[in-house]
Amino acid sequence: MTYAIVVAVTAILMATVVVSLNLTAGYAGQPNLAQSAFFGLGAYFAAVLSVEHGTSFWSVLPVAALVSGLAGAVLGAISLRLREDFFAITTVGLNFVVVALFKSVDFFGGATGIYGLPLPTLGGTSFTNDHFLVLSLVLLGLVVLIAKVVRDSWYGGMLMAIREDELVAASLGAPVALFKASAFALSSLLAGVVGAVYAFFISSITPETFGFNQSVLLLSMLIIGGMGTIRGAIVGAVLLTLIPELFRFAADYRNLVYGVFLVLVLRFQPQGLVGDDSWLARGASRLLGRSGPQSHATKEVAR
Amino acid sequence: MRIRTLMAGALVGLLATTTACSGSGSGGGDTLKIGFFAPESGFGSADGRSALAGARLAVEQVNADGGIDGKKVELVTYDDASDPKQGAVIATKLVSQDRVAAAVSGSYSPQTLAGATIFQRNRIPLVSAYAVNPGIPETGDFIFQQDFDGEVQGRAGAVQLAEDGVTKPAVIAVDNDFGNALVQGFSDQAEKSGLDVVSVDKNEFGEKDFGTIIRRAVDAGADGIYLVQYVAEGTQFFRALRKSGVDLPVLSTEGIDSAGFLESIGDLADGAKITTNLNRDAEAPATKAFLEDFAEANDFPADMVAASSYDAVKLILDAAESSGTSAGDIHQGLLDTSDHEGATGTLERFTDGRQVIKPVQVLQFQGATLVSIGEITDSSVITP
Amino acid sequence: METTVDGLVIGSLYALVALGPCLVYGLLRVLDIANAASLTLGGYLVLVLAERADSPLLGVLSGLVAGAALGWLVQRFIYLPILDRGPIVTLVTGIGLYIVATELFRLVFGPSQRSAHVELPLPDVDVGGVRLEGIDILVLAVTFGVIGATWYVLTRTRSGVLWQAVAQDRHVAGAVGVNSPRVIAAVFAVGYLLSALAGALLSVKYDAVYPTLGDIPAYKMLAIIILGGLGSPLGTIVAALLIGLVESWVVASFGFALPRDAIAFVALIAMLLIRPQGLIPSRVVKP
Repeated sequence: MTYAIVVAVTAILMATVVVSLNLTAGYAGQPNLAQSAFFGLGAYFAAVLSVEHGTSFWSVLPVAALVSGLAGAVLGAISLRLREDFFAITTVGLNFVVVALFKSVDFFGGATGIYGLPLPTLGGTSFTNDHFLVLSLVLLGLVVLIAKVVRDSWYGGMLMAIREDELVAASLGAPVALFKASAFALSSLLAGVVGAVYAFFISSITPETFGFNQSVLLLSMLIIGGMGTIRGAIVGAVLLTLIPELFRFAADYRNLVYGVFLVLVLRFQPQGLVGDDSWLARGASRLLGRSGPQSHATKEVAR
Repeated sequence: MRIRTLMAGALVGLLATTTACSGSGSGGGDTLKIGFFAPESGFGSADGRSALAGARLAVEQVNADGGIDGKKVELVTYDDASDPKQGAVIATKLVSQDRVAAAVSGSYSPQTLAGATIFQRNRIPLVSAYAVNPGIPETGDFIFQQDFDGEVQGRAGAVQLAEDGVTKPAVIAVDNDFGNALVQGFSDQAEKSGLDVVSVDKNEFGEKDFGTIIRRAVDAGADGIYLVQYVAEGTQFFRALRKSGVDLPVLSTEGIDSAGFLESIGDLADGAKITTNLNRDAEAPATKAFLEDFAEANDFPADMVAASSYDAVKLILDAAESSGTSAGDIHQGLLDTSDHEGATGTLERFTDGRQVIKPVQVLQFQGATLVSIGEITDSSVITP
Repeated sequence: METTVDGLVIGSLYALVALGPCLVYGLLRVLDIANAASLTLGGYLVLVLAERADSPLLGVLSGLVAGAALGWLVQRFIYLPILDRGPIVTLVTGIGLYIVATELFRLVFGPSQRSAHVELPLPDVDVGGVRLEGIDILVLAVTFGVIGATWYVLTRTRSGVLWQAVAQDRHVAGAVGVNSPRVIAAVFAVGYLLSALAGALLSVKYDAVYPTLGDIPAYKMLAIIILGGLGSPLGTIVAALLIGLVESWVVASFGFALPRDAIAFVALIAMLLIRPQGLIPSRVVKP
C-alpha cells in the first residue's frame, strides 16, 4: 500500500499546485508557464534552510510562502507590461533563468542539488507516508477553499473580467495592475508552500526537477482537466500523475502514451475532460437530471 | 454537488486501479527478486541500455547455473526516464509492491540519491552501480557504492595528467553533479601533483560548440585539457579540437566510456586518454569472461556502465549466495564481501563508508579502440 | 574573429529554424514547438541515408519532402480544428506533439546518437586568417539564399501578398476570396521544410543526431521570434544572428559563466522590459 500512498501524495500535491495555477492561468487568463519556478523556489528555500541551517519543517513553510509570493508579485508586475504571447514566452524563459540561478548561485547548492532532507516531525514523532497523505489532503482542502473564496468573490469576478477583456475591465474602474499582481502573488505563494512540502516528501531535489518540463506538465494538467475550473485542476493533476504510473509495465512506450494522450485530449476536448461544456460534464449533468450545462450562464471556458 | 461526488468517486477508483494493476508483490516463494532502475528513455537512454544489458547478463548467468539456494533470480526493472523525481517513486514501488530483497541503481546520481533515502528507511540494501556522488553511501548503512566515487576519479585524473608532463591544465566539465564531483577531486589533487589549473569552464548538457572554449584554454596558456563530459558533448569536443588544429593532450573520464561513444567517435579521439573502472585488456578471468559473454549477448560493445551494473548485481547475488536471501542477509553479505572478482577488478572489501577501493584504470584511444596503458594504485589517491 | 564567424554560422542555423515558426505565428498566432520535430527528422534522414544508402543528398531531399508532409499533416489534423481555443491550448498541444515525435525517434532509430561522417565535396576556405569548413560555408550560403528567397516571395509575389493578407486578418482575408486554408497549409509546409533543412545542415555540421536534438532549438526559437518582434521575418533573422553572435562572444570572454540557454532568455526578458514590442516589430502583424 505504501506505493499507492506515495503516488496518492504526489497526485494530491500536484493537484494543489495546479489549483493554485488556475488562479492566474484559469481565472485571470494569464498564460503562465512558470508555475514550477515558484514551486521550485519554495522547495529550494525549504531544502536549503532545513539542510544547511537546521531550520524545522514548520518554520520553513512561511519562508517558502513569502519568497515565492514575492517572486510571483514581480512576475505579475512584469505581466502588466506585456501582452499575451510576449508574456507567455517570458514565463517560458523564467524557468530557464530560475534553473540557472539554482545551479550557479552558491546559496542554492549548485548543480548537485540538495539531498538528505530530514523527515518533518510533529510532536516528537517523525512523519510517515500516512502523515504526508493527511498533510497533503489538508493542504489541498485549504487551497481549494481559498480558490473558491476567490472565485465567488467580487475580486475573482474582476479577474475573470480582466480575462475576457482587459480594456473593458479597466474602463469599469478596476485597478487591473493591482489585481493581476496580487493574483500572481497569491498563486505563487500557494505553489511555494506546496513546493516546500514536496521537497521534504521526496527528500532530495535537483535544479532540473523544477525546469520548463515541469511547468509544461503543470499547465497540461490544468488544460486536460479543464481550465478555469477547480475540479478540472484536480482531475487533470491526478490523471497525469496516474497515467505514467499505470503504464510502467509498458516501460518503452510510457512517455509515448503520455504524449499521445496529451495531444488527443487537447485535439478532441480542448476545453478539458471535465471542463464546462466537455462531454463528461455534459453527460454527468444529463445523467443527474439537470437541465443543460451551465456553460451559457458562466463562461468558465479556456480562452 | 452530485457531480462532484461522482468525480471524487471516479478518482478514488482510479487510484485503487493503480494499486491493483501494479500487481500483488509476493515476497519469498521460489524467486529472489532484485530491483533495478536505469534511464532507459530521456537523454541518458544510451547508458540505460548498457546498464540494463549488464544487469540482465549477471542474472541470466546465475539462473543458468541453477539460481541462488534453488531460487530463481528475477530482475524487476523500471525506467526512470532520466528524471530525478522518478527515483523516489520507483524505490517505493520496488520496496512496497515488488518486495525486492535488494536493489541496484543503474542510474545517475540524482535518481540514485532520491531512491537511496527510501531503501534506507525500509532497510533494503541498495548497490549503486556507477553513480559518482560521494553523498550516496552517506545516506545510510544499507547503501553501497560499487564504482569509485567522483572525487577519487578526479584525483586520479590530476595524478595522470602530471605523469604525462602536463603542468597547466584547463578543465572543461559538464555542469551537473557528475562534473562537479570530478572537478572537486581534480582541483584538490592538482596542487599536490604540481599542477597549476589555468581555467575551469562548466558547460550545459547538450553544448555543441567547444571551439570557442578551446581557444580560450589555449589563450590562457593551457598545455593540457581535463575533460569531464558525456557522450554527445564529448563527441563535439573532439570534433572541435580536431577542427581547431590545437594539439593538446586530453584526459577524459568514464563519462565517455560508453558504447554510444565508441560506436560513433571513429578515430577522432585518437591519442586521448580516459580514467575509468573497466580495463578491456585485463588478464583477470572475471573481466575477460564478462567481455566475451557480453559481446555474445548484445550487438553493441561493453562499456563501464554495463560492467559496473553487472558487478553491482553480482555483488548482491554473491552476498545472497553466502549469507542468505532475505534483505538482512544480503546486507550482511555485502558488508562481509571479500575479494569479489568482478568485471571492473577485484574488490577486497567495502570500506566503513560502504565505498570501494579499486585501482583507477587509465586507457588510451588508439584509433577507435580503447587500450589499457596503466592504472593508478596510489592508496592516498584511490581511498575515498 | 573566429568567434564572430562561429557566432554567425550558429546564428544562421537559428534563423533557418526560427523562420518557419515566425511565418506560422504571423498567420495564426500559434507558437509552434512541434516544428522542432521536423528538425530532428531532417537530421535523421540525412545521416541514416548517408550511412545506409551512401547518399546524403538523397537524405536531404527526402528530409525536405518528409518535413513538408509533416507540416501539412500537423496543421490539417491537429492545429486547424483547435485554432480558436487560444494560444495556450495550441502551445501545449505543440509540446505534446513534440514529445510524441521525440519518443518515436527513440523507438525507431535507437537511443544512442548516430553519426555518419559525411564528407562534403567542398574545400575549406581561408578568409582573412579564419579557416572556414565547407559545411560552414554551405550553412551561410543556404541561409542567405533562403532569406533572399523569403524576402522576394513575401514582397514580390502573389503568395507573399496572400501571406500578408491572411496575417492581417484570417477571416477578412477569407471573406475577400483569399483561400486562407491553402495559404496556411503552404506556410506550414514551407516552415517545416526549412526546419528539416536546418536539421540536415546541423547534423552534418556536428555529425550527430539523437532523439532530443530539437529540444534546445525548440525553446530557443521561441525566444528568437519574440525577440525579433512576433511575426516579423526580418526581425527574426536579425534576432537569430544576434543571439548566435552574443552567445559566442559571451562564451569567448567569460567562458560558460552563464548557461548558454539562459543567455537568450535573459536577453529576451531584458529587452521586453525596455522595448515590449520586440526588436523590429512587424508592420503587418498587429499586436
